[in-house]
Amino acid sequence: MSEVLTRADCSTILVWDRGVRIFHWGLVAGIVVCGWTGFIAPRNWLNLHLAAGAAVTALVCFRLIWGSTGSTYARFRSFSPSLAAVRAHLAAIAAGRPQHHIGHNPAGALMIYGLLGLLVLLILTGVIALGGALKQGPLAFAVPFAVGWPAREVHEWLAWGLLLLIAGHLCGVVLETLVTRENIVRAMLTGRKRASPAACGNPAKAHPVLAATAFVAGAAGIAAGTIWLSDRPAAGVPGEKLDAAYARECGACHFAFPPSLASAQTWAAVMASLDNHFGENANLDPTQMARMLAWLTANSAERFDTLPANLFRQADPAEPRRITATPAWQRIHRAIPDSVFGSKQVGARGACEACHRDAASGRFDPQSISLPKELR
Amino acid sequence: MTIRTLLAVSAFLAATPALAGSAQHAVLARYAAEAKTADPGFTGFSAERGKALFHAKFATGKPDTPSCTTCHTENPKQEGRTRAGKIVPPLALSVKADRYSDFAETEKWFGRNCDSVIGRTCTPVEKGDFISYMITQ
Ligand code: HEC
Ligand code: HEC
Ligand code: HEC
Repeated sequence: MSEVLTRADCSTILVWDRGVRIFHWGLVAGIVVCGWTGFIAPRNWLNLHLAAGAAVTALVCFRLIWGSTGSTYARFRSFSPSLAAVRAHLAAIAAGRPQHHIGHNPAGALMIYGLLGLLVLLILTGVIALGGALKQGPLAFAVPFAVGWPAREVHEWLAWGLLLLIAGHLCGVVLETLVTRENIVRAMLTGRKRASPAACGNPAKAHPVLAATAFVAGAAGIAAGTIWLSDRPAAGVPGEKLDAAYARECGACHFAFPPSLASAQTWAAVMASLDNHFGENANLDPTQMARMLAWLTANSAERFDTLPANLFRQADPAEPRRITATPAWQRIHRAIPDSVFGSKQVGARGACEACHRDAASGRFDPQSISLPKELR
Repeated sequence: MTIRTLLAVSAFLAATPALAGSAQHAVLARYAAEAKTADPGFTGFSAERGKALFHAKFATGKPDTPSCTTCHTENPKQEGRTRAGKIVPPLALSVKADRYSDFAETEKWFGRNCDSVIGRTCTPVEKGDFISYMITQ
């Protein structure tokens, strides 16, 4: 870090070195993008969410390294967490005798550890959810849906928790600014704060080369591991192409539904009623029908672990033959108006491929959702 | 095939010279043979009757499909659409050259669509009429 500290300069000192400042504002940007893409943006922005998540991961890794290689106030040693210190700090504020802290005040210190811990948990649950629920990323080969789906839930709760902590952090910033009359937002931009004479010593020097070396080595290791693991085939994802006769016969009037979208029971019910197939006759000759039913049963939702296979195998008792009547399908698509399904470009709820580019594979990745241009 | 059937089929052949020897002709010939077996008085197919069948509205089939035109539209040269939203290529031979060239395929769809629309199977005469109309379109 190139900022030069001289003793003459002792009215203000460099508290937040460049590493801390880049980490802080990079994290702000990363979390804003993660929050926006996670809570607000459409599902098909997932790749941006993943990229922002990767950036946050890199920043957190860097911060953990910088915690022992940065300059004085960047070091974890300079702000050990202590509940007693927090209590004393708050009591002093309440009594109207706020202490001036050069680095993190005790409440702020606790906040930093809380934030870092929460971020690590968010990263872990995110990767587990990505692998288990969406069959993507480094854990797609290993994590079952039964783990990935709840992990996604936990990930969301942790994200709410993070928002809560950030709100607390912002309140703390406002409070500290009011109480100490020092603009600490500007301090996080310039790095400099008012110094007390006691602090005007020689701060511990940063070791940027050491930090960069550790960071590059760590990042390269994590990236290589991620790529290596992501290359393994995902568990429980249909690999085979559709049976040719099935694709032809059951794709004549509508999208040929991959068998992994419905339970064996649903397929049996569909095939047993082809002469009155949703208000039409869709009869097949009996040998072809028997062969197709066997193929559907062998490849039904129970055989796979994708998100649609897990969610849509629960049929609606009133309409057991419809994928689009399942409670999960209804819930997922509840925000889409009837006029979109009835439009010329889509035609029906069952026209999955009109909105899901990867529908034929049975995966239904969020990244492959794309409504017809006219309807966006 | 009896001699009379052969005669009826040949008469039909003569009436549609452009089709002679084609796959469509073979399909029509089979329907003509079936028609002759069912009714020895059969004299030939009529594109006019086929056209009427195509546009007719029925109350005897399934309620969502009162007419062939429900999916195939009023114009055989136009693309149709199934109730599930999928495009159905036109039925007119002039627009889609491989129509009525595979007996099993054509039979399968007559079997389904006649039941959905009319509530029964179509007779060989109806099928032949229908194809006769479509090959002129
Ligand atoms: C003759 C045309 C036709 C053929 C052939 C056909 N279907 Fe269908 N299918 C329909 C129609 C019409 C619907 C109802 C569409 C709607 O209401 O949106 C439907 C709906 C379905 C649904 C429910 C979709 C939903 O909304 O969840 C399933 C499952 C299905 N078909 C399976 C099959 C299978 C399996 C075959 C092959 C054996 C097949 N279909 C062949 C016309 C056909
Ligand atoms: C009109 C367009 C449209 C049609 C048709 C459609 N979907 Fe969707 N689908 C969407 C949209 C948009 C989303 C994202 C919903 C959201 O915001 O969570 C979605 C989400 C999904 C998801 C969840 C993906 C994820 O991981 O979040 C699945 C699974 C899915 N659809 C399956 C189906 C199936 C199966 C069919 C056909 C039977 C179908 N969809 C038909 C538009 C459509
Ligand atoms: C519910 C929609 C629907 C209705 C109603 C319907 N059809 Fe069809 N028809 C189709 C579909 C789908 C196909 C197969 C797609 C294709 O061949 O392009 C088809 C194909 C056919 C074929 C096969 C053509 C060939 O290439 O051999 C014939 C013949 C046919 N229809 C006749 C009829 C007749 C006659 C009626 C009225 C009695 C009728 N259709 C009503 C949907 C319908």
